[in-house]
Formats: sequence, structure tokens, C-alpha cells
Amino acid sequence: MQLATNTGKSIIYAFLFWLISFFPQALFASENQAGGEEEEPIADIIKHHVADNHDWHIFDIPKGDSGYMAVAIHLPWFFYEPGKGFQFFGSTEAVAESNDYVIAHDNVYKVKGKSLIKSEELERLAAASPAEYKFEINNIKYIRIEGGEYMILDSEAGLLDFSITKTSLHIFFICLLLFFVFTAVAKGYRNNEGKAPSGIQSFFEPVILFVKTDIVQPYLGKKTDKYMPYMLTLFFFIFFSNLFGLVPWNSNIAGNTSVTAALAMLTFLLTMTATNKHYWQHIFWFPGVPVLIRVLIMLPIEVLGIFTKPFALAIRLFANISGGHFMVLALVCLIFIMGENGKNMGAAMGIAPMSYLFTVFIYFLELLVAGIQAYVFALLSAVFISQAMEGGHEESH
Amino acid sequence: MEGDIGVVGAGIGAGLAAIGAGLGIGRLAASALESMARQPEAAGDIRGNMILTAALVEGVALFGEVICLLVVL
Repeated sequence: MQLATNTGKSIIYAFLFWLISFFPQALFASENQAGGEEEEPIADIIKHHVADNHDWHIFDIPKGDSGYMAVAIHLPWFFYEPGKGFQFFGSTEAVAESNDYVIAHDNVYKVKGKSLIKSEELERLAAASPAEYKFEINNIKYIRIEGGEYMILDSEAGLLDFSITKTSLHIFFICLLLFFVFTAVAKGYRNNEGKAPSGIQSFFEPVILFVKTDIVQPYLGKKTDKYMPYMLTLFFFIFFSNLFGLVPWNSNIAGNTSVTAALAMLTFLLTMTATNKHYWQHIFWFPGVPVLIRVLIMLPIEVLGIFTKPFALAIRLFANISGGHFMVLALVCLIFIMGENGKNMGAAMGIAPMSYLFTVFIYFLELLVAGIQAYVFALLSAVFISQAMEGGHEESH
Repeated sequence: MEGDIGVVGAGIGAGLAAIGAGLGIGRLAASALESMARQPEAAGDIRGNMILTAALVEGVALFGEVICLLVVL
């Protein structure tokens, strides 16, 4: 009982604290030690910009000769520890100052005390696999933190991270935007009943009609109205988040596998609820095929097909959107690769116009892709749902 | 040394996936344009199906690209 009340209180405190602290105080600068000698590899810079993060990194201010100040909104850490309830920390720094937790590679871990360990065996293991940061010697787990030091990991604690990261913050923003835009559109239909549409309503009416007549109706026919709310939500969420992601500083929402997997999962669940007898018959006992082929070939292929469809949906959206962001970042980074980080200014100045033109070109392409991917995701969802509820009319012809 | 060969493999793989997608979508677009020219009244239907099929072709290529990306990162 004690635990339950503590948990409830923690949630409320966490939420209030997050609300209070978010805008006025969270925007502060922190110092970084990026010197002139140790350059971050370009691949790491691109990965950092595309990946989800617990800091909303806005820009850097050059500071003297040997470093920069990072201006970033530090998003709070919020995680559940079994037996102890919810834990809340205002920023990554706050977690680093705590006694029990440590952050490595954008994940939170519980450690047994904050004492630093140095051992030759650990150094040897780390040298053998540079990408690893968790090591195990004699059933004791160690974790490497920034600066190349080690701590003993508390492997018992299975922390569940519920933090609001950059991407989830931006998803909330998109949801709010969709809510306000489409309540305004809906209000327009109530006020202008029988009259011509006006304002924002007339902007969205063709798009909504396009989704209805070109995406949903050809496949779902009479069931169109039942699936329209889902399809419109899907289309506009993906479209808005793609456009939003093209604005600098913003997270590429659909370039995150978790987001696209969640969207594909929704389509998968809807497909499963729409299934009928014929769908399952075609999967488990394909009609009109010799029995041996039915069991050996059709059954495994069709069963796999249930899962590859949503999987392909998720991967397609993810790869298209993150691919565009990789292209833009790679073209911008080309200036710094050519200029060898300020050592060769001529080459940097020479490549900059080319890099700029190509980036603009990719940006226009990405505007196109933002629409096409929203269209394709909604279209394929409609196709998969309609396949699941097709009647037995194929056998007759 | 192993890492270097992995990067080369990923580069070749990404290129092969792009070739596959290019051939597939190229053939698809060629046939679709031809059919649109033969039957302009069916252009709308053909265009819709063309985009759908192009998305399916592209999806397979993107699997390859994502795997190549995972090798490098």
C-alpha cells in the first residue's frame, strides 16, 4: 500500500516538476570539452542527429579556441525501478549526480555505488571490442561510462525507461497540432452546412476527399466510412510529422523504428479484426493447390506473409524518412570532410556551393517523399485490411 | 581490418540494392507509361497501381539498405 501511494505521488510530482521546470529553467548551456585535436567521426555526428535523444540540442556557441557551449533543452529522465517505484530526474546531469544511477549510451543503468573501477582485465576486454560498453568478469557486470572509467552494474534492477525523449515530445506536439487543426476543420463543416467551405476547411477538404476517394474507397468499398477515421489519422499524422521533421532542430519522427513499428502494429491489429473465414482458409489450407504444396510451400509462406506485411510497412517508412535525413546531413558534412576541419579552407569554400545546391535539391525531394510516404502507408494499410475481409468471390472466376 | 572489409561489403550491398530497385522501378514505370499512352482514359487507375507496386519494389530494396546501414553503424 505504501508503495502504491508513493508511486502515485511520484507520478504527480514528476509531472508537475516537469511542467514547471521545462521552459523557464531547462534551457541552459552546458560546457563541452570538444577540443581541436579530438574530432568526432562524421558517422557519429550524423547518427547523433538522426537518433532519438534525451536532450533537445539546439545549437552550439563557439567558446574560445578549444570548445563550444551547447545550448540544449534537457529533457527529464523518468523511469520505473521494480520495488522502488518511479524515479524522476530533471536532466542527464541530475542523473549523473545521483548515487545509484548512471547514463551510458543514452540508456539509464543502476550501479552499485559510484566508485570508479580500474583494472587491466577490463581494459583488455574493452580494447578487444571497442563498440561494447558492458563487460562481465566472474559474474560481475561492469559498465564503461564517459571518460573510459568503469562502474559495477546492478544487474538485478530491471529499469523501465518512460522518459519523454525528443521524439516523443515532438509526437505530443504533432498530436496537439492535429487536434487543433482538425477541430477547426470540423467546426467549419458544422458552421457552413450547405454552404461553400471557408478558411482552413477549404484547404483540407480536397486532401480529405483525396484520402477518401483515391486511397480508401477503391479498396474498402462499402466499409469506407468505418475505416475513414483511422486512415485520415494515419495519413495526416505521417504527413505532418514528415513535414515537421524537415524543419531544422526537429526530430525526424517517422525516422524512428519504434514510431513506425507502432503505426504498423495498429494496421496489423485492424487487419486482424477485419479477418474472415476466407482469409484464414487461404492461409492454412490454400484452395485449388495439391496437398503437398499446400502444406510444404503455401502454409509457411502465407503464415510468414501475415507478419512481413506490417514489418515491410514499418521498414519502408523508417528507411525513406531517415534516408533523406542521412542524405542532407552527409551533404552538409561533406564541407567539413573536404575542409579537413578548418585546415583546408579553400576546399571547403569550393565544395560549399555544390553541397548547398544538392541539399536544396534533396529537400525538395523530401517534400515529395513526405507526401508520398503518407500516401503509400495509408494506401497499403487499406489494401491489407481489404485483403483480410475479401469474400470468397475469387474462386468463382 | 575486419571492420574495414565490413564497410566495403555494406557499400557494395547498398549499391546492389539500389541497382535492383532501379531496374524494378524502371521496368515498372516503362510499362506503366506505355499503357498510359495506349489508353489515356485509364491513366488514373494505372498511376495508382504504379505507385502501389513501386512502393512494394522499393520496400524490398530498402530492407537491403537498412541491413547495409546496420553493418556500418
